[in-house]
Amino acid sequence: MQKFKGTPGQIRRQRIERTGAIVISLVLAAWILVNLLKSPQQVAQVAVLGLRNGLLYALIALGYTLVYGIIELINFAHGDLFMLSAIFSSYFITVWFKQDESNPAGWLTFISALFAVMAFGAVINVLIERLAYRRLRNAPRLAPLITAVGMSFLLNFIGLKWNGSTPRQWPSVIPNNDIYIGEVRINMTTILLLLVGVPLLLALNFIVTNTKSGKAMRATAQDKQAAALMGINVNKTIAFTFAIGGAMAGAAGLLYQQSIGTTNYNLGFQLGLIAFTSAVLGGIGNLWGAVVGALLIGLVQGLNDGLPIAFGQQWSQTVVFAILITILVFKPAGLLGKVTTEKV
Amino acid sequence: MSTALVKPQNVTRSNRKWIIGYSIAGAFLYFVYQFLLNWEGLPLGIYDAINRWMPPAAVNESLVYVIMALGLNIVVGYAGLLDLGYVAFWAIGGYCAGWFMSEFFYFLKIHFFGAVPAEAPGIHINFWLVLIIGGFVCAFFGALIGAPTLRLKSDYLALVTLGFGEIIPQIFFNGENFFGFNISNGTKGIVQVDPIPVGFKDLGPFDFGWKLLIFLFLAAVMVFISLRLRRGRLGRAWLAIREDELAASMMGVPLMRTKLLSYAVGAFAGGLGGVAFATHVNGVYAERFNFAISIFLLAMVVLGGMGNVWGVILGAFVLSWVNGNGLSAFGALYNERFGTEIDFASFTFLLFGLVLILMMLFRREGLLPESRLKLVLHEGDIDEREASGKKAR
Amino acid sequence: MSNVLEAKNISVAFGGLLAVNSVDFDIPKRKIVSLIGPNGAGKTTLFNVLTGLYKPSVGTISYEGKDITDLPPHKIASIGIARTFQNIRLFGLMTAQENLLVAMHSKLKSGITSTILRTPKQRREESEAEDKAQYLLDYVGVGKWTYEFARNLSYGDQRRLEVARALALDPKVLLLDEPTAGMNPQETGVFIDFVRRLVSEKDISVMLIEHDMKVVMSVSERITVLDQGEKIAEGTSDQIKSNARVIEAYLGRAKEGRA
Repeated sequence: MQKFKGTPGQIRRQRIERTGAIVISLVLAAWILVNLLKSPQQVAQVAVLGLRNGLLYALIALGYTLVYGIIELINFAHGDLFMLSAIFSSYFITVWFKQDESNPAGWLTFISALFAVMAFGAVINVLIERLAYRRLRNAPRLAPLITAVGMSFLLNFIGLKWNGSTPRQWPSVIPNNDIYIGEVRINMTTILLLLVGVPLLLALNFIVTNTKSGKAMRATAQDKQAAALMGINVNKTIAFTFAIGGAMAGAAGLLYQQSIGTTNYNLGFQLGLIAFTSAVLGGIGNLWGAVVGALLIGLVQGLNDGLPIAFGQQWSQTVVFAILITILVFKPAGLLGKVTTEKV
Repeated sequence: MSTALVKPQNVTRSNRKWIIGYSIAGAFLYFVYQFLLNWEGLPLGIYDAINRWMPPAAVNESLVYVIMALGLNIVVGYAGLLDLGYVAFWAIGGYCAGWFMSEFFYFLKIHFFGAVPAEAPGIHINFWLVLIIGGFVCAFFGALIGAPTLRLKSDYLALVTLGFGEIIPQIFFNGENFFGFNISNGTKGIVQVDPIPVGFKDLGPFDFGWKLLIFLFLAAVMVFISLRLRRGRLGRAWLAIREDELAASMMGVPLMRTKLLSYAVGAFAGGLGGVAFATHVNGVYAERFNFAISIFLLAMVVLGGMGNVWGVILGAFVLSWVNGNGLSAFGALYNERFGTEIDFASFTFLLFGLVLILMMLFRREGLLPESRLKLVLHEGDIDEREASGKKAR
Repeated sequence: MSNVLEAKNISVAFGGLLAVNSVDFDIPKRKIVSLIGPNGAGKTTLFNVLTGLYKPSVGTISYEGKDITDLPPHKIASIGIARTFQNIRLFGLMTAQENLLVAMHSKLKSGITSTILRTPKQRREESEAEDKAQYLLDYVGVGKWTYEFARNLSYGDQRRLEVARALALDPKVLLLDEPTAGMNPQETGVFIDFVRRLVSEKDISVMLIEHDMKVVMSVSERITVLDQGEKIAEGTSDQIKSNARVIEAYLGRAKEGRA
């Protein structure tokens, strides 16, 4: 059987996609070039910032993509879980343990906070699944979706009560010095994000590819019934997925709170959206796709917010949404996703 | 069980009951707010109670929500498309009022049966015409927004509509300088809209009683449109799409066209509501249009029973009242009585979140379900019974 | 033109896998034809191509002489190619009558305004449609369930309703996907008679995908056999029964009825 390339229609579509991708890349390159000519140092600076944010988004995006991969549900509440984790971190470090300076005690608290907040995120996420989503697993699509939206509101409310209606500033236990690569200033927080974020991502990748639970996750994501028939406890696997997704969001919350220093009940909506767009851009269900997508979005957003020639920060959300809509309409499988033809 | 050969006159009959109920309730409300409240002989206790629990402004605002919930009901309730960005239409409708019924375009002077003196600068088109304009402009944008979602699964569809529900208000929010043009006065808003001419009078922002009638009328228009369409082939096509889109298309239902129409007709109500609301608050203010409103409307439709216009009217009226006035009035009373200082109004998110969650978990068909919906939304639950019974899936 | 539907050189690829490989398939006028083959042979895929659900990777389909390869499914349905589903896909929450009315969507003409205003023309159109629906419901034998929710009907009645719904499209070709699945021998016999009656009374061709060999052998005027995406035999029931390749393809599989 010879390799089949595609119908004329499919080939045409591939060609359009390819041209579109080239055009978009050219436009992006031109935009960056124009700004580079104007002030190269700013571009580098802003890019570093954007990539740092991208790493943060990646941690949140993983939660979305893992959950969607396994039960095909967009957990609208995930962004708000991140928000609650940020608040949790602020209370843990500054209120309960009263650490507000960069010293060994502070750093020790930070490390304990990391474990605590990851546990927090995991537990809350598993609870949400157990109480709200599990019952609706076989219900028509609309029901769990609406429940997720409601859950998001609920978490928002908790955030509102816990944090108040205005953003709060918090001191950080991260040393506040910068290192310089050329003329580009890199803050300690960025280093920290790399130090914490990258191992977390690698650990997650390891869990998903090499452990029994990870394999169970992937099997369940492909075919729930078959997985159950193979002896996999589907309920436990799904709970496990929510747990690690929640843990990632928890870590992201801590990192955000300590590096950016503010908490706001609205955080979940803004960052949740960005994280979800990242997951879709990279290919929903694909872990590395989420990371790649997040880095890209972080970069684009950073460039848009910080560059002299750009739409500017007040259009930030619109830009991200526009990206989301474009992908969903033209290439829903995302950059790294596979186009699956469903058999009827 | 068998409704067999009994013609569904019970549907028409029950509709008739509701229409009568609605008219009576409407007449009663009008009586209270136009006449009773203005009667000097009214005992102070009652006057205070009414103003505390249901001031005229609150009733009118609730009616605006009713109008829009009826619109969302067509998209979510009939066609089953989860639109999370409905607030965009409210905004567009509002700004249509702002553009065509105020001095915003002060450098122009276009009058068309407007209710202002002829020298007034700006565009001043008759309110009733602006309603229609706003409705159709929104219908157009409804189709525009719906177009990218036509091939998407429900999760993604929700997200895309959510996206538009954010982008469009954001455009108005930043609208003071939109590629060089001022399209909305940004956060300052458009501060005054024209009164509503009704022949013998021009209704301004304080003519609550008359406005009440008008808003009731607009809601009735949406009910009328909804019920009529549902009875005809478009409504059936929508229900079929909601149930099984693939089977519907294989039976000759053109999916894209039908979905676009649901967005358009649904958005039309947003236009009506948006224009009406602009006259209610006498202006168009960008911060008003936020994502939470889309979710409020969704909760109203869910509470009332997706697809059931009467349930949606009740759900919208109750929830918007609770959110707007009820919570704070109740809170004030509670705090007085118990000496506490709880800010009840901030519990809105909790309320709406719980409504959505609890309704989906325990009573998906809504409080007043269209009886048929009871069946489809409990699909997954029935499997056990069917496994042992004779009824096939 | 003695063929109402002609499919030429159809190939369907999923990714790199060819589910259907260079198959020609015709449906003659006013005949009953069957498509059989072991599981995974590509029958349902071919079926879906004929009804417009899948677009063939290679090949063309023409209906009454006109090329319909690129038409969307709803257009194909509206020009007269109707189908039923293997796992009944009725609109469960709609009444039996409404199920048929949905299928008449493409035949009804009323637009939004006339529906909202309930013009005399629209009312007349609806009333005629309801009459036609009642006629078809009676024809298939579920006439007394007109206003019952489709979901509440018994399995057999649901199958009948699905056929009625397909007939509401005024089709020239009716494609039935495993119509006797789950039926006992008596019901199957009733069904066979019904199909014969249908073809002789209405100007219609019927194509079946079937696993029940008794049905296939007794009702088909021509049988096409697919195996692994390719057509391996085509002919009358006698020819197929004795075809060595066909027997080989089915070797080891249940030949009659369903497991």
